[in-house]
Amino acid sequence: MESKNLKIKGIEDLSAGHWLLELENSFSEKPMPGQFIHIKVAPFFLRRPFSIAGCDRDKVTILFRVAGEGSQVLSHARKGDVLSVIGPLGTPFPLRKRWKKAFLVAGGTGAAPLFFLSGELAGQKKDILFFYGARDKSNIMFRMLPAGIDFIFSTDDGSYGEKGLITGALDSCLKGGFLPDVIYAGGPRGLLKEVAGFAEKFCIPAFVSLENRMACGTGLCYGCVTKIRTREGWEYKRVCKDGPVFSASDVAWEED
Amino acid sequence: MLRVKIGGLALKSPVIMMSGIFSYGEIDLKYLDYSQIGAVVTKTITLEPKEGNPQPRIWEAGSGMLNSIGLQNPGISAFVSRHLPGIMERGVTTIVSISGQDSGEVVRMIEILLREGVKAVEINLSCPNVHRDKPMVSQSAEMTYRLIKDSKSASGNMLLIAKLSPNVTDIAEIAVAAEQAGAGALSLINTVKGLCVDIEGRRIVEGGYSGPPIKPVGLKAVYEVFRKVKVPLIGIGGIEKGRDALEYILAGASAVGVGSGFFSNPGLPGEICSAVKDFILANKFKSIRYIAGLFNEKEENSSGKKKRN
Repeated sequence: MESKNLKIKGIEDLSAGHWLLELENSFSEKPMPGQFIHIKVAPFFLRRPFSIAGCDRDKVTILFRVAGEGSQVLSHARKGDVLSVIGPLGTPFPLRKRWKKAFLVAGGTGAAPLFFLSGELAGQKKDILFFYGARDKSNIMFRMLPAGIDFIFSTDDGSYGEKGLITGALDSCLKGGFLPDVIYAGGPRGLLKEVAGFAEKFCIPAFVSLENRMACGTGLCYGCVTKIRTREGWEYKRVCKDGPVFSASDVAWEED
Repeated sequence: MLRVKIGGLALKSPVIMMSGIFSYGEIDLKYLDYSQIGAVVTKTITLEPKEGNPQPRIWEAGSGMLNSIGLQNPGISAFVSRHLPGIMERGVTTIVSISGQDSGEVVRMIEILLREGVKAVEINLSCPNVHRDKPMVSQSAEMTYRLIKDSKSASGNMLLIAKLSPNVTDIAEIAVAAEQAGAGALSLINTVKGLCVDIEGRRIVEGGYSGPPIKPVGLKAVYEVFRKVKVPLIGIGGIEKGRDALEYILAGASAVGVGSGFFSNPGLPGEICSAVKDFILANKFKSIRYIAGLFNEKEENSSGKKKRN
C-alpha cells in the first residue's frame, strides 16, 4: 500500500453514465485483481474506493458509474490532472493452480474487478466463462471485455443476451451439469448471495467482492465492516482490510 | 525542537494519532513516516468484547463525516494477548484508550494495563455512539471527577489522560474537575454529536461529527480550558493541514491529535511537524514549549503557570 499522486492518462465517457479512468501506474507493488484504490476527489472529505478494473505496467484503470456527488465530480476530471491515490488495497481474488475452469459472475458495475481478473486468468490459460448481467444493453461495457473469453450476457429488459437476471443463466448452466472449479463474483448484494447459494449447493469454492462505504480504506477505522460467520455466529470484519474479496461461504448472508 | 512532554510521557513530536483512526497501531502503513509521530492512541478498549454498531457506521456530511463505530473491540484480555505485545515492540509510544460502564470497570482495566507495563491511558469519557439515551461521563463534572479519582487511586505512575466531549455547556468546568481528580493531561475534543437525514434511504443517521468544520469548536475548547488548568492539553478536532495544528498549539495545546483528517491527507503528520518547526524558527523561539498557548494570555486571577511543557 502506497500513497501517490497519480496523473490521469485518459478519461473516457462510456455509455449510461459509466466512465473509464486511466491513471499512471507508479505503484512499486503490483496491483492484483480484486484489490481497490482509494481516491481523493476534491472537495469531498472522504476518499472514494474503486475496484481496479485493469492494470498493466503503465496504467491502472478504474470503471465507475456516476451515482453521487463524488463520482459526478470525478467524471469531470481531465487528462493530465493529478489525483491523490492510496493503493493497492485489500485482498485479491485467490488463484489456485488446480482451479482450471472458472466462472466469473458479474452484475452491473460490480463487473469492474472481474474484467481485471478475467485478463489475468486468460493469461494463465484458464478456461473461463464470464456471466455478465446488466439493466439493459447500454449498461454493458463492451469496451471492457477482454478478447478470447466466452461470455453469457443477460439484461433485465432483454435488450441484449438473455432476458432476466444473470443468476438465472448461471443456474441453468450448473443444473445442466457444466460445473467450474471455482466461481468469482461481483455485483449487487442479492446477486452475490444467490451465487453463494449455488456454490454451496454444488460444492464449488466461490469468492465474492463486497462493497461498502469506507472512511480510511486501510483497516484503521472499522467503518466498513460486514458480518462474517464464526463458529459461534458472526462478527464484524472490515471490507477494506479483511476483504473486499471474501469466501462466499464466510459471509453471514442469513443476517441480511 | 519538537519534543514535548505530556505528563511524564516524553514524545519526539507533538503529533498524536488519535483513538479510532489508527486501529491498535498494528497496521504497517508503508506511506507513514513513524519518526514524525509522537504517540499513537489505540482504538478504545472495553473490559468485555464489543461487536460495535450496525451499518451505516460512516456518513459523509458537509465537509466532514459522521461515524458511529460503537467501540467495536475484542475486549481487554484479547487486546493484551493479541495486539499489545506487537505494538510495544514497535517502539512507538502507545497510549491505550479505555472506556468502562463505571469506575469499577475502568479500574480493572487500568490494573491489567499497569501489569503489562503500559505507561499511559486515555480514558474515553465522551464516546457519542454508545448508550445514546444516557449522558456521557464527561457531561457531568461530578461523574468525571469521581471516575478519574477512582482511576487515579489504581494507576500508580501511569499517566491518565481524560478525553472530553464538546457537547457540554462549559467544558472548562469539566476539565477542572478532571484535573482536580488527578488527570495528568486532557484530550480536547471528541467528536461532536450530529445527525444526517438520508432522504433516499428514508432514515436518520446519527454519529459523532469530525473533520474540518469542527476545528473552531475544538480551538474554542482548548482556548478556554488552557486558562483554567495547568495540565497539558492535546488539541484535537478538524486538523487536516499543518497550519491547523499550529493554531491549536498557539491557542494552548501542548500536542495535537490527528483524527479523520489523516484519511483525507496521509501526509498530515509530516505537514504538522514542518508547520510547527517553521513557526518556531521564523519567530526565533527555541522549542515548541515556548509557543504552546502563545496567543492565549491567561487571566490575571487564574492560577495557571506561565511556562508550560
